[in-house]
Amino acid sequence: MRGRTNRGALLADRATFEEDALQFAPQLYTAAMRMTRNPSDAEDVVQETYLRAYRAYDTFTAGTNLKAWLYRILTNTYINRYRQAQRRPSEVELGELQDLYLYRRLGEGSGASVSAEDEVLERLVDTDIRTALEELPEHFRLPVLLADVEGFHYKEIAEIMDIPIGTVMSRLHRGRKALQQKLWRVAEERGMADPGSSR
Amino acid sequence: MSQGCGHAVDYLYHYIDDELTWSRRIRIRWHLRRCPNCTGAFGFESRLKSLIQQCPGDEPPPELYDRLRALIREEAARDHP
Repeated sequence: MRGRTNRGALLADRATFEEDALQFAPQLYTAAMRMTRNPSDAEDVVQETYLRAYRAYDTFTAGTNLKAWLYRILTNTYINRYRQAQRRPSEVELGELQDLYLYRRLGEGSGASVSAEDEVLERLVDTDIRTALEELPEHFRLPVLLADVEGFHYKEIAEIMDIPIGTVMSRLHRGRKALQQKLWRVAEERGMADPGSSR
Repeated sequence: MSQGCGHAVDYLYHYIDDELTWSRRIRIRWHLRRCPNCTGAFGFESRLKSLIQQCPGDEPPPELYDRLRALIREEAARDHP
């Protein structure tokens, strides 16, 4: 039987769960891989997510954002399972980084050349970016994943992570700057940051 | 760097993430039209965001669907034995 919320919205029906929710499995698995960095943990998290989602499906309001709702369960499952194992890095640990971190660092050596920064971007490979993402401290990494990789809006991320929207913005911005600092180090190590070396 | 640049940079991520009100968006776009420095910086940040977005993820194992379907059906059978 389908119920209604107290505002009259129609609640979802468990009978259609498979049809409605399974289409998101590949995305959820990819996200779980990014969170856990391990195929068997990723599959465990996805399976638990689907089980919890199925059990709670009659509380989901039909017609609202099912993808965000599933990501919320996925994120919670991941955090609950792995939080104990992780130390919580303090916000201070990242230090205060300037805005436009990578752009400015790359620009320092290149003088008037506008394209030097973009050239470095072109030479970064997928594994550079993946490694930089994976190395981010946990509570900065999740907002960056949810915003940049999954394309969620701030408000959705706030709901998924169950934190205020202001916290989403500050962690996202700081996480992005920390990611840029890591990419800067890669560029520096490979001599990509040296303007003379690329031409 | 003008006062307009500071304002634009403050809202850079909101702009790139499409999280601005219409009027603020217009004001920043207006600044970008006149400021090559900020245009360069905004372009760089949005290209970096696309790079992160396009970074390929791991594909699920082909059996994932079947395993999830089995899991859900097992749970459903518990509901209606």
